[in-house]
Amino acid sequence: MAGILASGLGVLAHLERLETQVSRSHKQSEELQSVQAQEGALGTKIHKLRRLRDELRAAVRHRRASVKACIANVEPNQTVEINEQEALEEKLENVKAILQAYHFTGLSGKLTSRGVCVCISTAFEGNLLDSYFVDLVIQKPLRIHHHSVPVFIPLEEIAAKYLQTNIQHFLFSLCEYLNAYSGRKYQADRLQSDFAALLTGPLQRNPLCNLLSFTYKLDPGGQSFPFCARLLYKDLTATLPTDVTVTCQGVEVLSTSWEEQRASHETLFCTKPLHQVFASFTRKGEKLDMSLVS
Amino acid sequence: MDETIAEFIKRTILKIPMNELTTILKAWDFLSENQLQTVNFRQRKESVVQHLIHLCEEKHASISDAAQLDIIYMQFHQHQKVWDVFQMSKGPGEDVDLFDMKQFKNSFKKILQRALKNVTVSFRETEENAVWIRIAWGTQYTKPNQYKPTYVVYYSQTPYAFTSSSMLRRNTPLLGQALTIASKHHQIVKMDLRSRYLDSLKAIVFKQYNQTFETHNSTTPLQERSLGLDINMDSRIIHENIVEKERVQRITQETFGDYPQPQLEFAQYKLETKFKSGLNGSILAEREEPLRCLIKFSSPHLLEALKSLAPAGIADAPLSPLLTCIPNKRMNYFKIRDK
Repeated sequence: MAGILASGLGVLAHLERLETQVSRSHKQSEELQSVQAQEGALGTKIHKLRRLRDELRAAVRHRRASVKACIANVEPNQTVEINEQEALEEKLENVKAILQAYHFTGLSGKLTSRGVCVCISTAFEGNLLDSYFVDLVIQKPLRIHHHSVPVFIPLEEIAAKYLQTNIQHFLFSLCEYLNAYSGRKYQADRLQSDFAALLTGPLQRNPLCNLLSFTYKLDPGGQSFPFCARLLYKDLTATLPTDVTVTCQGVEVLSTSWEEQRASHETLFCTKPLHQVFASFTRKGEKLDMSLVS
Repeated sequence: MDETIAEFIKRTILKIPMNELTTILKAWDFLSENQLQTVNFRQRKESVVQHLIHLCEEKHASISDAAQLDIIYMQFHQHQKVWDVFQMSKGPGEDVDLFDMKQFKNSFKKILQRALKNVTVSFRETEENAVWIRIAWGTQYTKPNQYKPTYVVYYSQTPYAFTSSSMLRRNTPLLGQALTIASKHHQIVKMDLRSRYLDSLKAIVFKQYNQTFETHNSTTPLQERSLGLDINMDSRIIHENIVEKERVQRITQETFGDYPQPQLEFAQYKLETKFKSGLNGSILAEREEPLRCLIKFSSPHLLEALKSLAPAGIADAPLSPLLTCIPNKRMNYFKIRDK
């Protein structure tokens, strides 16, 4: 009996051992299978990534090559754009310059937020003189906001006459007054600065330069009596006087030659600008000197 | 030299602040360089004045010399007087104004002297084509009072004259007459404009309060001025009412411009209007006669103050045209009646 039990036990143990062996080998084969599956998956992943890398590399190469080709093609296009831009800038500069140069026409203007700012540039004998501004507000009624016209120019009167009804007339009339004033002022200034040697006293003038009074000698330092001239410019739109009186200081009755000279001076002052008359005096003086020398 | 003249010169020099004394004396050009060099201006003022009076006596200063000094003092201290503005007009078809300064002075003086017999008239021409006239008034029987003169600043070949408001009102018609006739006008009218600041009055009357003009030659674009708003540059701060602030700024700039405003001290509105009220049945609303009331705005610089009202949030923009029309209408005294 013990022998059979022992061998029975031995058989059971043997069966147990065999069972565990089988389960172990099952496990092992399962593990092996899963590892193999993992291996397979990783392998395919590697292949995918390798393919992606190769594709990207190819794409980069392709891009580089095409960009190089592009640059070679694109450069002529860019210079065309630059040329167009330069041309536009040049046009803009041109237009700006024309607008700036407009004031040489004597009457120019610029639109402002509330109206227009008119610029009157005066001139006399081809010399550009002062510019004056009038800032107009475009409302009903049209009005002057502020200006740089000298206070003694009758701006209010001219505006009262024409501003509301005929703005063109207003501007042209103002131009006339300002240009005439500038011209008269120019003549008086030139007389004072260039021909001071011939004047025997200060030049009397008023703000509008429409009443000038002065004494002069044709031969400064000489023995002759000085002449007294009084020039009246009753026409404020003119640069030549309307009335001229020349008298000889300190002499009751003039000799014929002096009387002729006096009369000729009166005519000269009426017909020629003041500084030109004096220029002719100095020229005559020079001629006299020359005759004395020779 | 007359004692009264000496006293008058003394009082005039005493008024002059020490830091202006040499400038004014040089402008007066009565005492010579040599004489002035003998004066020690670092002494006490009384001693300096004594020395100067002594020098004036040496040179026999006359009342007209003294008057010239007084004019120069007033030219340096214009704001001590309140100035009125007078506007003259010619008749229709008048001759062109051939202004002769000599004729004007003679004519002006003659008219006053014929009427009053005792009057001191002095003239001083300035570089801006203006002539300052000083008149010390007397009567047929009394000598001119040198201490209460009237000053007139007349811009020749314009219709405008500025006069210091005088206490001696009875002389105003005569002054007006003299000015009108001597300058060959027909009529003279007092404008409703008054201020201590002669320069500002001139700027308003001649519409020359802004001497910048837009031209195509200007290089700086006008839009680039700072708006004067203290906006934080920190972008994390947002102003809720920035749109409104910018609107107010824009309207203020359009109304007042960018330039410094002429200086006035007050604006006065005399109202003679019927009382207007939204409430029915109030006693005042039932009045048939107009209500009379006077409103006066005062400020050291009225127009700048008005300009800052809307940006400061004290008033709505745009301001009432009654306030903003002051420079344009050349008035700061208004009478408002019902239409």
